[in-house]
Amino acid sequence: MNVLRGFATTFKHILEEPVTIQYPEQSIEFQERYKGRHELHRYENGLEKCIGCALCAAACPADAIWVEAAENTDEVRFSPGERYAKTYEINMMRCIYCGYCEDACPTEAIVLGHEHRLSFTSRSEAIFTKDVLLVEAPEGTQATPQRVRPGTFDRSIPDMEDPL
Amino acid sequence: MSDTVKIYIDDKAYDVPAGMNLVDAAKMAGNDIPVFCYHPKMEPVGMCRMCLVEMGSIQKDRASGEVLLDDKGNPQIRWFPKLQTACTTNVSDGLVIRTNTPQVDQARENVVEFLLTSHPLDCPICDKGGECPLQNLTMEHGPGSSRMVYSDKLKLDKHVPLGDLIFLDEERCIQCARCIRFQDEIAGDDVLAFHERGRSLQIITNSDPGFDSYFSGNTADICPVGALTTADFRFGARPWELTEVPSICPHDAAGSNISLSMRLDRDHGGRAIIKRVMPRQNENVNEIWISDKTRFGHHFTRDEHSRLLCPLVRRGGNFNETEWKTALEYAANELQLAGGSVAAIAGSGMSNEDLWELRQLVTGLGGERLGAWPPTHAGADLVAQVGVGQGTNLGDLGKGDAVLIVASDLEEEVPIWRLRIKQAHDRGALVVVMNGRPTRMDDFASTVIHYDYSKAAGAFDLLQKEHGDTARQLTGAKNLVVIAGAEGVDLAGSRALMQAAANFLIESGHVGKPNNGLMATFPGANGMGQYYLGFTPEATQDIIANPPKVLFIAQADLLFDDPAAVSWLKQVETIIQLTLFAEEPVPGVTAALPIQSFAERDGSFVNGERRVQRFYTAQGPIGQALPAWQVLNRLGVQLGLGRSKLSASILMNEIAQSIPAFAGITYKALAHVEPQFPLVGGDDVYYGGTAYRNKGGLGVQIPAAADNGGAVTKGKVEKPAAIKASGGQLLVVPATRLYNRERVFRSSELVHPRVPDAYVAMNAADARKLGIENGDMVSISAGGSTLKVRAHVNGAAPQGAVILPRHLSDTPAPLAITAGEVSKA
Ligand code: SF4
Ligand code: SF4
Ligand code: SF4
Ligand code: FES
Repeated sequence: MNVLRGFATTFKHILEEPVTIQYPEQSIEFQERYKGRHELHRYENGLEKCIGCALCAAACPADAIWVEAAENTDEVRFSPGERYAKTYEINMMRCIYCGYCEDACPTEAIVLGHEHRLSFTSRSEAIFTKDVLLVEAPEGTQATPQRVRPGTFDRSIPDMEDPL
Repeated sequence: MSDTVKIYIDDKAYDVPAGMNLVDAAKMAGNDIPVFCYHPKMEPVGMCRMCLVEMGSIQKDRASGEVLLDDKGNPQIRWFPKLQTACTTNVSDGLVIRTNTPQVDQARENVVEFLLTSHPLDCPICDKGGECPLQNLTMEHGPGSSRMVYSDKLKLDKHVPLGDLIFLDEERCIQCARCIRFQDEIAGDDVLAFHERGRSLQIITNSDPGFDSYFSGNTADICPVGALTTADFRFGARPWELTEVPSICPHDAAGSNISLSMRLDRDHGGRAIIKRVMPRQNENVNEIWISDKTRFGHHFTRDEHSRLLCPLVRRGGNFNETEWKTALEYAANELQLAGGSVAAIAGSGMSNEDLWELRQLVTGLGGERLGAWPPTHAGADLVAQVGVGQGTNLGDLGKGDAVLIVASDLEEEVPIWRLRIKQAHDRGALVVVMNGRPTRMDDFASTVIHYDYSKAAGAFDLLQKEHGDTARQLTGAKNLVVIAGAEGVDLAGSRALMQAAANFLIESGHVGKPNNGLMATFPGANGMGQYYLGFTPEATQDIIANPPKVLFIAQADLLFDDPAAVSWLKQVETIIQLTLFAEEPVPGVTAALPIQSFAERDGSFVNGERRVQRFYTAQGPIGQALPAWQVLNRLGVQLGLGRSKLSASILMNEIAQSIPAFAGITYKALAHVEPQFPLVGGDDVYYGGTAYRNKGGLGVQIPAAADNGGAVTKGKVEKPAAIKASGGQLLVVPATRLYNRERVFRSSELVHPRVPDAYVAMNAADARKLGIENGDMVSISAGGSTLKVRAHVNGAAPQGAVILPRHLSDTPAPLAITAGEVSKA
């Protein structure tokens, strides 16, 4: 009797749509909230959003992020304001894709994207440096560092809107 | 006890010292009253209103002094109608305050909200973020949200260099005036001021060059916000990423307690480097202050380009890089061939442990002569005899006490002593400065006596004969400290001067007790350690006169210090050099062995007040450098002179057993800490900075022979013949400048703009005679060297003498005063 009940379950599922897909030929739709590999974002003018504050590193429970900051000048400008990330590294072997770094970031610079195909063959390759993480400068803008008109970008963090 | 009073904080009674500031008293009682402008080291000004509390006093019957009781039998309290600032109140008997009422909470919230109206939202990029009083107090007392319109926030300049070393962010300043008050009250360099008023009020510097003070870095520490940042640390790291390692300033005799903030760094191969140097509280030594040289003079510890990275030996004509093993074998072989004709010259940057191993090695090989470098200051033995008594604290000197500073430009030689004596002067101490020329210390002196440089060694005769009143004031003082330098005297003159100083103190009974006795501005960090371990300048003189076959030169830059070194070093067959730097090797050097800086290993120094203080390993070695003691110990093992030793602490135990002055001193004793007042650097950061807390030890002061009732006798002053200039010559007086081009300071590039170009100060009359004008290049031939430097004709030199700062050009200035030719180049 029990045997029959078992078979019934099996046969019921034979007729259902399969949940598996033929990866890598096929791929699934990602939810917007999916947390894949990090990206460091830019403003529309091509400047980096990251200001090297290391709050992501402080928030990271896996101690995967390493930030070293330096000072911008108007001749050599990476980001708005005074401070930028000279070194920005994430150790992908330590990262647990929790997204705390994204929550901590005051400028929405570090964002967990949808890239999930990560592979590396050595430990040092697993450390993603700033040039790997940084997205391309938008069309028509200059990659960083930029030379800018003095005094244009003196705020590190975009001005807040009034709450009302 | 009569000197405590009873006060009530939040209905609990506490006994606190009478007259203490209420904020401090409450803090001792465990109640942190929030403050911004108040600082325990400075006079309160009541500017920020953060410290508001409810205040009242217990009513007493005027006639009987009985406490008046109300109907319920509780003491009657008369409350002030409004909140009062705690920081401007000193405690008195029966003072009652409440810090936890809704009114107080409201007041704190309002003050924070008010301060934040013009403060930027900058914490993510602010160097103070994470150890910021404004952040902390906002979290604790601030309103949860803002009622202000963001677009009304002030937008001001965020990058205003106040000088080469300190930057101001105008938006962040909360106008507490701590920085201004520090410069005025504590440093005595009144170079900062408020400009404009109200919302336009700004900090400005009114000196040229900007922020012209040797203590400027301290303002960044005590600034309660991130308005002041140092050129060294700007964006260097977030405070929570730093590891604090206790250490000791390697630059001068004060032995300032410091904390090295370490972090790994990609630009340095992922090694830990010093990101910033912060003061570490030691109320007897440097309180919570350090000089800018201490703060910004650390870059040599990481400078791979100037440091010697691996051992070098000379084979044939060539100087080759080699392994330690080969180098040590080679050196050992040379030492064996010397047949006992071995001597050593050790610099004042060598730790006690290094000196001990050097001494073991040289004496083990049959050598006797242990020379101290530079051989400029004599009389360390006298400091050991009648040095300031155990428990001395320059911060205690005040009314009725006296300080005599002789033959020293104290600000340039030991800036922290100058800062502390300036304050003693403010507290009413008599400060007498004797020198051959005006110095900065004159600004903080009660009496200034200028003597003729040719009579510098006899300064005390002059004092007693021609300035009897001043001499009597000094001898009659409650406490008397004499600080002697060696400006304008040679080694024999220095000995005469020190002996006269010791006699002066012994005669007037100012020895053997705290806050009395002799101090000297020995160059480097371990001048007293050299003496205690048997290294003397007299031995150096003897080595120069009769060079040995094999000479150790340990951490001493002979060629840069002494123009005569080139010639006498030629007579030494074999030189074994222990050095930090890959400089041009000393001519004839056989082996150059790389040693570690103070930041790379453990060790201890003895400061000018005879306090043994230890420093800890902060970073990994540069190249293959080893601690000097280890190099010497390995050499000894190679030569069959002893067993190998594994740590600096073991060496300290050996020293303690063999050298009576160190009896009982262990690394554990040196690491002992006790609570100090004021209570700064705790978990609260209201008092600015988190690095003040002393976790590394307060050190142990070696007793002077005169301490504990020890008998000391006066010695004979053997005055050398006066150094005279004749036949158109002038006296050339080498002087010390704090910022110079010494190797340990050369890597600190950020201070370079402040290092003066090589110059000589001349008197207008002499200049006229020689046809020299201010700004001309002149040539000076003296003591075996010829220097071309710029003439400053500005009243800084007396007639008949020129002041020639050492270590400003690559050609060394003479080691001591001498007669020389000056001419227009
Ligand atoms: S996703 Fe989480 S674990 Fe990965 S770097 Fe960000 S904070 Fe760290
Ligand atoms: S990614 Fe964001 S949180 Fe991390 S350093 Fe850059 S700005 Fe700061
Ligand atoms: S710069 Fe700092 S210490 Fe000076 S007044 Fe402003 S907030 Fe106070
Ligand atoms: S008014 Fe008291 S701390 Fe500022």
